[in-house]
Amino acid sequence: MARITINGKPCEFTGAPSILEVALANGLEIPHYCWHEGLSVVASCRICLAEVWAPNPRSGELEPIPRLLPTCQTPCGDGQVVRTDSPKAIANQKAVMEYLLINHPLDCPICDQAGECYLQDYSYEYGRGESRFEEAKIKQPKKDVGPHIYLYSDRCIMCSRCVRFTREVTGTAELCVVGRGSSEQIDLFPGKALDNELSGNVADICPVGALLDKDFLFTQRVWLLTKTPSIDGLTASGDNISIEHNQGRIYRVKPRRNLSVNKWWISDEVRYGWKFIHSDQRLTEPRRLQYGEQVGTNFSAAYDEIDERLAAAREAGAKVAALVSPMLSCEEAYLMARWVRAACGEQSRPIIGVGPVPVNGEDRTFPPGASPADRNAFTIRAEKAPNARGVRRVLKGLNGTEAFEFAKWLEAIKDAEVVLLTGNYPSEWVTKDLAKALSRKCIFLIDTLPNDLTGKANVLLPGATWAEKSGTFENANGLLQAFEQAIPPVEGSRSEGQIFADLLARRAASTNGHGAPRYNAAAVREEMAASLGLMEFIRDVQAPAAGSFIESDMELVEL
Amino acid sequence: MPMTGPVLTRRIPTFPYGNPRDRRTVWYDDYVKSGGYEALRRSIALEPAAVVDMVKDSSLRGRGGAGFPCGLKWTFLPKNYEGQRYLAVNADESEPGTFKDRLILDYDPHMLLEGIAISCFACRIQTAYIYIRGEYHHQARILERAIAEAYGQGIFGGRGILNGACDFKVDCYLHRGAGAYICGEETGLLESLEGKRGWPRIKPPFPAVKGLFGKPTIINNVETLCCVPFIIEHGVEWFKSLGCASKIGGPPSFGTKLMGVSGHVQRPGVYECDLGIPLRRLVEEYCGGMRGGKRYKAAIAGGVSMGVLGTDQFDAEMDFDIGRKYEVLGLGTACPTIFDEDTDMVMVARNIARFFKNESCGQCTPCREGSGWMYKLLCRMERGEAKLKDIDLLLELAGSMGAMPGTTICGLADGNNWAVRTIVNKFRSEFEARCSPSFVPVTVGVA
Ligand SMILES: Cc1cc2nc3c(=O)[nH]c(=O)nc-3n(C[C@H](O)[C@H](O)[C@H](O)COP(=O)(O)O)c2cc1C
Ligand code: SF4
Ligand code: SF4
Ligand code: FES
Repeated sequence: MARITINGKPCEFTGAPSILEVALANGLEIPHYCWHEGLSVVASCRICLAEVWAPNPRSGELEPIPRLLPTCQTPCGDGQVVRTDSPKAIANQKAVMEYLLINHPLDCPICDQAGECYLQDYSYEYGRGESRFEEAKIKQPKKDVGPHIYLYSDRCIMCSRCVRFTREVTGTAELCVVGRGSSEQIDLFPGKALDNELSGNVADICPVGALLDKDFLFTQRVWLLTKTPSIDGLTASGDNISIEHNQGRIYRVKPRRNLSVNKWWISDEVRYGWKFIHSDQRLTEPRRLQYGEQVGTNFSAAYDEIDERLAAAREAGAKVAALVSPMLSCEEAYLMARWVRAACGEQSRPIIGVGPVPVNGEDRTFPPGASPADRNAFTIRAEKAPNARGVRRVLKGLNGTEAFEFAKWLEAIKDAEVVLLTGNYPSEWVTKDLAKALSRKCIFLIDTLPNDLTGKANVLLPGATWAEKSGTFENANGLLQAFEQAIPPVEGSRSEGQIFADLLARRAASTNGHGAPRYNAAAVREEMAASLGLMEFIRDVQAPAAGSFIESDMELVEL
Repeated sequence: MPMTGPVLTRRIPTFPYGNPRDRRTVWYDDYVKSGGYEALRRSIALEPAAVVDMVKDSSLRGRGGAGFPCGLKWTFLPKNYEGQRYLAVNADESEPGTFKDRLILDYDPHMLLEGIAISCFACRIQTAYIYIRGEYHHQARILERAIAEAYGQGIFGGRGILNGACDFKVDCYLHRGAGAYICGEETGLLESLEGKRGWPRIKPPFPAVKGLFGKPTIINNVETLCCVPFIIEHGVEWFKSLGCASKIGGPPSFGTKLMGVSGHVQRPGVYECDLGIPLRRLVEEYCGGMRGGKRYKAAIAGGVSMGVLGTDQFDAEMDFDIGRKYEVLGLGTACPTIFDEDTDMVMVARNIARFFKNESCGQCTPCREGSGWMYKLLCRMERGEAKLKDIDLLLELAGSMGAMPGTTICGLADGNNWAVRTIVNKFRSEFEARCSPSFVPVTVGVA
């Protein structure tokens, strides 16, 4: 295999990757601004330059290349020696850092990017610590460029990542460069606004505090945030995300790089769709129907009532139905179905169906015209539920046959008397047909937001959104991905996984007296594999990459 | 053997062979009457490869600034490739002090068109674009008319060269720039032709492999292409008898060169001379000497990007070795600007720095920021508000940018670097006189 030595470390490579790519793959850092794995190479920021020695093709002796070479653009050559820590390379790094800051307002204390800004990091690592610039700085305006994004032109380092993103990824080209020389600016193409479906990504790829997310602006210092790896819980894309939160509150959602799923991006829908988690409408109290009116109760009383009603139904030979929401994780679907079956007993099988799967338009792949299989393609899924496939997979594993789809299930439950439903959708999901089909039935509902049924349920339990629990989702491509709990469930609520673990424990307790265990997604996966033979749940589930959980190392101290 | 009569200026009356007052645009009929398009006729009787060989053997070097061997550039085109190729004719001529291509465009447009037709035939190029500087309104109109004539006469167009005397078809279009100097840089020009912002491309791939619209492309200066018909007509040996060989063992500087002289001389203008003519002779014999009898102080060698020749370098030979011999970047466009003894070199530096800060395309950090910083610093120096240490800072800034140290993508930054650095180095005392000491000595009285 071909070899290149970068800063003294021998690295192997195949093909003709750039020096920078090989360095990064080998855990070496080379500073870079304009280069981004998902965008074309422009080699314009000039901070990644290195001194290179190449073997003479005839004598094989190492000879210096007289110019500094951009490592982001220059392909590796066998036997070459590269140094980004030689005096020349270091002098260039210092010069570029000084240049980038001469017209920069140095307003880190009021900048959202502070703490995750490459100007800060590289200044510390590669800068000269002081500026010799004594002239007047160029002042540039702050611009409102789109529904989600502000542009602080002052802080821009003209790396052109954002411009390339709107050209090469979204194909919408709203951003462009205007002006020349040091008075150059990023601007909107006349008559356009940065309002494409992926617009939030420009704030992520901007290496400095020039493009900022309006939604996050001034809400939290980034060093206070804990980052928990998660999976898109709103659509079938399975986009890898990082939920960034502090003290039980989510502040923002960012993409996590996963080349086989979402590449480097997420849609604005996924980025901003989590707001309902902190809605003041969230259900936070178990309720039960008493003389036609709902009253508050607690979980154990609610469980008692559920158990009693189901026991009565079993005595009477009444039919029981259950609707498993595609918003639930595989583990929760399994626990739910297992419990319903156990509660119904051997004689009467419950009628189990998959909850409605919302679809909005059609799948859209970026860049326009790309096939979803292309290396850099990114797809927004029309299916707006994260786990319809996973729920179907688990129910089939448990029942041996395909579960009812929602429409079929609606027909099948005509003579059912007790119906258990799970919701957990970010918006209204109860259709008129469903409400009608449920009239005069005994309803147990686990949901997160108020809807048509929440006031009518005989027992209502407050559930938890995906950010508040762990589990596994199967995306539109059949990929199983595990996610971690980011924040605790809002006070008063419990994850569906915990609710069914509780209910299962109560059944077991009546025989052997054990208390309720804590819902543990990994243990449930093992159980699914062991008891249902669904080996994919221990074999194929993709766990978040190591290092994607980042705890804040800062503590907010009140003085 | 020095030139005995005008070559490129054969139809453009120029001192000492003619009177500039007699100049008028030579249209198709007059062009043909004076032997025009004969070289094209002769070329198409040859194998294309033979034409390329002749240009290669003549050692014709690019007249656009870099002096790259023209024939060698042509051989970089992919072999055994039948698809679309392009010729981009660089008529952007935006270098301050350079106005030699304008002379050709003004008076002898068919000389360029003939050069284009021959080059396209030789390199199997189907389409040529002439990229003309935005401010050349008049010249654009002349070219439009000349191209229309050439199509009408069957030089270009669907019938094949010379009304089908040869199967090969060439199309030629004019494209006007929008006033950016950087669009004269060859890959900035290609981007601009494609309708994009004129941001020079990173190389490799080189344009000969992947150029305009991703297709193999040759980029040549107007004057370079105009030399081609003469090489075909008079032969390689004749061409090599003009100009001079290298005196320092480098590649030769054959042929004549249009030299546009501006500045403090009696008679500024474009003159055609042998390459290698000493600057002093150019000024004294062609330009009638220094204006007002003043003394020579400095000269910009060939466009501001090349840096300045010092007071003791008036005898510099104007050939492609000038860079190595006289501490300038190169011959550039061979259009010198002459300064007399009254010139304030700090002001010259500031003025040049202003040009580069306005024209930097803004891609590369060192060029974008460095050009602005140097300009501001030079303004401060000119006002007498700078310290001595700022001179070193200025030199450091200049030295930090350029395609040669490798810190920028294109050569614009090198131009800025060389212009400022050579002026400061060759006239340092003028800068020092404007600056106050960096350290003010403090004396402590000890009783
Ligand atoms: C900043 C910059 C500006 C340039 N401007 C011009 C120009 O206006 N006209 C020109 O012919 N060449 C210009 N050049 C040189 C071209 O890049 C290129 O070398 C030339 O067109 C090649 O033609 P030649 O080989 O026939 O000289 C410029 C180069 C640089 C770096
Ligand atoms: S706004 Fe950000 S991403 Fe865009 S060019 Fe400026 S620094 Fe780069
Ligand atoms: S050196 Fe200057 S002009 Fe050339 S590409 Fe870089 S920024 Fe643009
Ligand atoms: S990262 Fe290589 S030049 Fe910007």
